[in-house]
Amino acid sequence: MAQAAGGAYRERVVARGGSLARRRAWIAFFLCLPLILLVLALVVYPAFYSLHLATLNKSMTRFVGLANFTFLFKRETFWMVVEQSVIFAVSAVIFKALIGFLLAHLVHRLPDKGQRKWRGMLLVPWVIPPAMSTLVWWWMYEPSYSALNWLLRSVGLEAVPWLGDPYWARFSVILVNVWYGAPFFMIMYLAALKSVPAELYEAADIDGANAFQKLIYVTLPMLRNIIAVTVLFSLIVTFANFDIVRILTAGGPRDMTHVFATWAFKLGIESNDIPLGACVSLFMFPILGAAAIFILRDVHRRSRELAGVTG
Amino acid sequence: MTRWHLSRRSLLAGASGTVVAGTTLGRARGAYAAGKLSVGFWDHWVPGANDTLTRLCREWAEKEKVDLKIDYIPSQGNKLLLTIAAEAQARSGHDILAMNTWLPGSHAERLEPVDDLMKEILANNGPTNPVVEYLGKPDGHWRAVPATPGSQMKGPASRLDLMKEHAGIDLLAMYPPDGPANAAEAAKWTWDALLAAAEKCHKAGYPFGIGLGTTSDSVDTWGSLFQAYGARLVDEQGNIVVSSDATRAALDFSKRLAAFLPADAIAWDDGSNNRWLISGKGALIFNPPSAWAVAKRDAPQVAEKIWHHPAPAGPKGRFGPYLPYYWGIWAFSPNKSAAKSLLAHLSTRSAAEQLVAASQGYDIPGYTSFNDFKTWLEEGPPKGTLRHYPNSGDQILSIAAAPAPHKIAEQIYNQATITKMIARMVQGGESADKAIAWAERELEGFMRG
Amino acid sequence: MSRAEATAAPAAFVPVASDLLRRRHWALWSAYFFLGLFCVFFLAPPVYMLVTSLKTSQEIAALEGSPWLIREPTLANYAALLGSPTFLNFFKNSFMVAIIVVSVTMVISTLAAFSLARMRFLGSTVLATGVFLTYLIPETLLFIPMFQIFTWLRDVTGIEFINRWWILCIVYPTLTVPFCTWILIGYFSSIPKELDEAAIVDGASTLQILFKVFLPVALPGLIAATIFAFTVSWAQFLYPLAFTTSIDQLVLPVGIVTNLIKGDVFNWGQIMAGALLTAAPPVLIYAFLMDYYIAGLTAGATKG
Repeated sequence: MAQAAGGAYRERVVARGGSLARRRAWIAFFLCLPLILLVLALVVYPAFYSLHLATLNKSMTRFVGLANFTFLFKRETFWMVVEQSVIFAVSAVIFKALIGFLLAHLVHRLPDKGQRKWRGMLLVPWVIPPAMSTLVWWWMYEPSYSALNWLLRSVGLEAVPWLGDPYWARFSVILVNVWYGAPFFMIMYLAALKSVPAELYEAADIDGANAFQKLIYVTLPMLRNIIAVTVLFSLIVTFANFDIVRILTAGGPRDMTHVFATWAFKLGIESNDIPLGACVSLFMFPILGAAAIFILRDVHRRSRELAGVTG
Repeated sequence: MTRWHLSRRSLLAGASGTVVAGTTLGRARGAYAAGKLSVGFWDHWVPGANDTLTRLCREWAEKEKVDLKIDYIPSQGNKLLLTIAAEAQARSGHDILAMNTWLPGSHAERLEPVDDLMKEILANNGPTNPVVEYLGKPDGHWRAVPATPGSQMKGPASRLDLMKEHAGIDLLAMYPPDGPANAAEAAKWTWDALLAAAEKCHKAGYPFGIGLGTTSDSVDTWGSLFQAYGARLVDEQGNIVVSSDATRAALDFSKRLAAFLPADAIAWDDGSNNRWLISGKGALIFNPPSAWAVAKRDAPQVAEKIWHHPAPAGPKGRFGPYLPYYWGIWAFSPNKSAAKSLLAHLSTRSAAEQLVAASQGYDIPGYTSFNDFKTWLEEGPPKGTLRHYPNSGDQILSIAAAPAPHKIAEQIYNQATITKMIARMVQGGESADKAIAWAERELEGFMRG
Repeated sequence: MSRAEATAAPAAFVPVASDLLRRRHWALWSAYFFLGLFCVFFLAPPVYMLVTSLKTSQEIAALEGSPWLIREPTLANYAALLGSPTFLNFFKNSFMVAIIVVSVTMVISTLAAFSLARMRFLGSTVLATGVFLTYLIPETLLFIPMFQIFTWLRDVTGIEFINRWWILCIVYPTLTVPFCTWILIGYFSSIPKELDEAAIVDGASTLQILFKVFLPVALPGLIAATIFAFTVSWAQFLYPLAFTTSIDQLVLPVGIVTNLIKGDVFNWGQIMAGALLTAAPPVLIYAFLMDYYIAGLTAGATKG
């Protein structure tokens, strides 16, 4: 029935000739015009301008081609930053996804009337502006006044140099990021869980599947798209994160918590080498672009398969 | 004095002349009427300090009939730094901006040279201290005018009671509240004495709060230690000279001192040492009197035992970190003559004295002859704690990474190469030679033009 | 035999059922346990914010007893902030920016998403992907070139852009529009084509279809996008730090960080009070509109 109507409509369009189609194309274009202008003026142009900046010398008086990039490749700190950015983003996203998934499952299992309350409480970290919540984390980590260390000591444990030891500092920075981001995953997965048809679980019950099997064979395939998309978004945001690292450690100790954005800021703004800072920032784009294309292609393929199955 | 008045008036007359001419022209030009001046000052942390600066500026603006707009820009969150970077790139924004330490040098090409103005000011105020000249005259030209607000010393702020009780050091005998430094006593105040005291206070449960982080407080302290040992990273000509016996001696000393510092000193920022002192946990920090001022409010029993005094001496002398602020005029400013006139007005002895008083003695103007303002003698409790805060005794003012060429020194300072070398040894367990080799590689990177 | 079987069967069934019930019960109980654990982890920072905001700075500075307890509760920090015209002005600026940004974003995104979800023109598929890619370009890269654009605009138009709070209304859409458009494309695509085809048969114009058919059906998606845009513009940090300097032009998070921290002097009580007040509007919005948000976000994101 639907196909018939669509077919009729398409025939009408063809019958009226190309002029209608052309008019519709123009309307479509005009509807997108504000978006196009915004993106061209405030994203595309500045991005290309930064690309241009990245090819200048330090005082921005001379074109040096790719010299800034080759210079970066020879710096040991640069490779440290690449490694740390990947560690930071990947581990934070994995933990956010795992915790989010676990919480979504737990909340989903609760009786309906209690769910709202729990969901609301668990969403709080994501709702507070991160610049503010990071400040309170920093205050809790602060060596002299650390409220966390007070708790540790009160149960007889040693105080932890949260931001003083490079490995603890990495842990602390990732912890704050997970704290901030996990609720978003929870909310997305929870909504997705609710959209999984109950019949699928009933069918699995009849086949005698246990909880684990249901998770692997029913839940995960149904949630695959949403997992891919949330992971991608989170990866982008985490990879480009500036506030959390900047406020907590500013890259220290010994540069061992710097990520791309904070190191670019250190070089470009604090040390007055804008071309080099732009270079470092530019490195994020290809890495994220590759991840985006990879994940989105998978999502599209899956959507098409699903469409093929149902339609 | 008379000559000054004359020349200043002629300067002002020149300025107001342009203002008048500018107003008629300005209408035609539209966007920027001459006779407008927009200034971005450093937002002072002392309550009320901004008001005195505003009042001084208003006095001037009324007399000169200039439409003056003042913004106070905090250094927190790198706000001032971002504003400067963005305005430099956009070639638009304020006419005058406050710039600290390295910024006049790094923006030298974009700042209006103020040699003529500085000649007038120096003729009246006498010479500046060497740090002000090194940083403000990076390429043979004065690029900015030394500012009073924000300019500070970072000598030790010590607990009189703890130092005496646990380390046997009588700071009042060295730097008495009612007179100049006692040279014979102060000669005992060396880095070795500090190390011994650090060990004793550490044992007594009051470790010294010296950060080993990458922010300015840490860099300044260890920078002055390096200078006291004659350890340089890069010399005046731009040669890498970090591999030297002096550096090894300084690193060796640093490693020994670090053993008595708080465990996470490596992560400290500019606020950590303040909190350390205010919390009563520590016997000594290196800081301007902001920690003491906050303690007066939040922990008065700690505040009344804090004494500000010069840094310890090393084999090559006693080096005290001084961090100047400047006022720079952008080369793109459409109203440079009015800008210069305002800066001349703010650079008089009387203006500086009012600003110092308003800052409760925190600010130290860069002109050596201004070191005798009575604010420093009077502030307390304990009375006289700021008497030796401006330069006192045989101390030589300095800044970390000097005397390297400006753009290299700026990198050394901002990237905290000195404290990172020490941190690599203390935390990374590297040998001095390995830390030096690492520093050499870093320094090569800083050479890029 | 058959009798015995008949009696044995229920006997065997009863323990299984109670076992199942017990297992369910246990599962629920363990769910509550883990949720409670995570709630402690998630809520500790905001609780500590609240605790600190109710202390005097003397009490914060003193290292006596538990930092989690308040000995002399005071509302002075809140009074200081709410009585300060400066802080109220941050609030006002933030609200103005958020409202304008949300409106601008919704207009741009809805029009574009409608077009990209339902219509074709030369390069429309490229645009749909391109919109997503803009999300990948970090802000740290963009703000310096943006400064130059606004200076150029100033020279052309004679209007000063830099250091005006409303410049944020021009800049923030670069952060909100791509994501909102993306959500809405997904949401619009999930609306059955029959609906608009029926409307076309009835002779509705393109815009009528958008307003009469799409907007009412896509309401959850629109609400989700609105909340997203609000959250982003409320929490932004780097752009306002770079583009606004005068104290009367600042917005909330930046205003708090730059005015309550002076150099190495921190006013923790007021900072925490300010942080809580800043967090309040988004928390309230989520409390009331969460269900729409969830519904809209997932429909949009899965289909995109």
